Amino acid sequence: MSPPQTAARARPFRDGLLRLDPPRLLGSHCPACGTTAFPSRTFCPRCRAGDGLVETELGVEGRVHSFTVVRQAPPGVEVPYVLAQVDLPADDVRLMARVVGVAPEEVVLDMPVTLELAPFGTAEDGTVLLGHRFTAAAEVAR
Amino acid sequence: MSLAPAHVAGVGMVRFGRYPAEVTLERMAVGAARSALADAGADLGAVDALHVGHVFGGPVAGQRIAAQLGLDGRPVSNHENYCASGATAVREAWVALAAGLHDVVLVIGVEKMTDRVSGGVRPDPGDLDAAVGYVMAAGHAMSARRYMADHGATREQIAAVAVKNHAHSVHNPYAQYQRPVALHEVLAARPIAEPLGLLDCSPISDGAAAVLLCSPAGLRRLGIEGPVPRVLAVGLVSGAVQTGTGDLNAEDVSHRAGEEAWKLSGVGPADVDLVEMHDCFTIAEIVRMEGLGLVPRGQGAAWTADGRTSLGGRLPVNPSGGLLSRGHPVGATGAAQVCELTWQLRGTAGGRQVEGARTGLAYCKGGTVNGTDGGSVTTVVMAR
Repeated sequence: MSPPQTAARARPFRDGLLRLDPPRLLGSHCPACGTTAFPSRTFCPRCRAGDGLVETELGVEGRVHSFTVVRQAPPGVEVPYVLAQVDLPADDVRLMARVVGVAPEEVVLDMPVTLELAPFGTAEDGTVLLGHRFTAAAEVAR
Repeated sequence: MSLAPAHVAGVGMVRFGRYPAEVTLERMAVGAARSALADAGADLGAVDALHVGHVFGGPVAGQRIAAQLGLDGRPVSNHENYCASGATAVREAWVALAAGLHDVVLVIGVEKMTDRVSGGVRPDPGDLDAAVGYVMAAGHAMSARRYMADHGATREQIAAVAVKNHAHSVHNPYAQYQRPVALHEVLAARPIAEPLGLLDCSPISDGAAAVLLCSPAGLRRLGIEGPVPRVLAVGLVSGAVQTGTGDLNAEDVSHRAGEEAWKLSGVGPADVDLVEMHDCFTIAEIVRMEGLGLVPRGQGAAWTADGRTSLGGRLPVNPSGGLLSRGHPVGATGAAQVCELTWQLRGTAGGRQVEGARTGLAYCKGGTVNGTDGGSVTTVVMAR
């Protein structure tokens, strides 16, 4: 019996972007003006403070602010897929991510979604590279 | 602060379209350059420097072109700001003339896309957006869906941009497509990124456009007397990192680019008679015109459907046919817009002439950067 694939080593596909356990996106928070940015930056995009920024875990609950069903993509990218602008109300952050767990034609504006991790690729040493996407919240998926 | 204007001594283009491999980037660039020189009645020997805008042309494309054109040995510079590359090359020529460094500068915008780009242009592979599956059409599709929800605009009104620009292109011999397109064709076209379909998207194109810019001394060198159209100013801004969850279509970057244009040129938004707008996608023309402040917020789709941005309307947008119909060889587009404004301001645009055109604006927006409201935006202000 070979071990299940989930036992493979994994790491974030990009340093400083997210934590694996529990899955959390990482942003930078500016204590001076209260603004959170994703991905993390070395300055505050709102008040331009250049120091004092702290790493912060973002909330996992989001809302679809806008979306599209991508039907044509460059060679090697499987279509269709849903790409969305997702708002995280707890942090006042907007980010772009794929949405899964719902048929493309069922996606609607303001739909609740939840963060989850997904393989974004494999490193040369076999490590699974994990990235972020959102899945339809349970009440939608049912 | 305002710099001296650059005088447009000559312009030239090769028709945009899809060419076989033997029609190389260098060959198209040389063709456009020779047309511009002939238009000005100028010899190569009069040219002080060459500025080339391109994205996919490879290393020292400008110098490769110079060696085939006969401008070898001169100062040659390559300018990359994605879809604003051609306009950025124009801007740097304007600056060099105003600084007194040169008196005659040839600007070429050129791109050979059909043999090296498929499935649409993309952000840099290292950009976070690319990692989550972003393609340009997807960004504009999300813009369109939100625009419809926020302003009560219809899919048909957005599609009307393509109908209008294709109708204009019938009169443009340099356009890739020179045929009208009906509303039902736009709506029924193959979906690319919903709600946008194939005819909401500018095509993959090959082509070149050239502009010969002069100082007053340069005009004397070329023996040109009497007034010629002038580039009053070229605004340039970059997208800014966004925070919060505000209006997805705020287009603050377009607003800032407009403010640069007005400040540098002394021209105000009310003075603009026509606009060459970077309609890489139908919705883009609408939200960018609003961002510039030339159309009231939320009314751009209705204005288009009502004919207010058509030839003969209140503010004609893209009499050339725009990117949707002229084609979009990305590095060439900004220079092609300057060619179009020049013909319009000379009054020689034929069936697509905007009557009484005195002042024109050309807008390009190039590239995307994760977390910002754009890559580069240029605003070229020209006057008769």
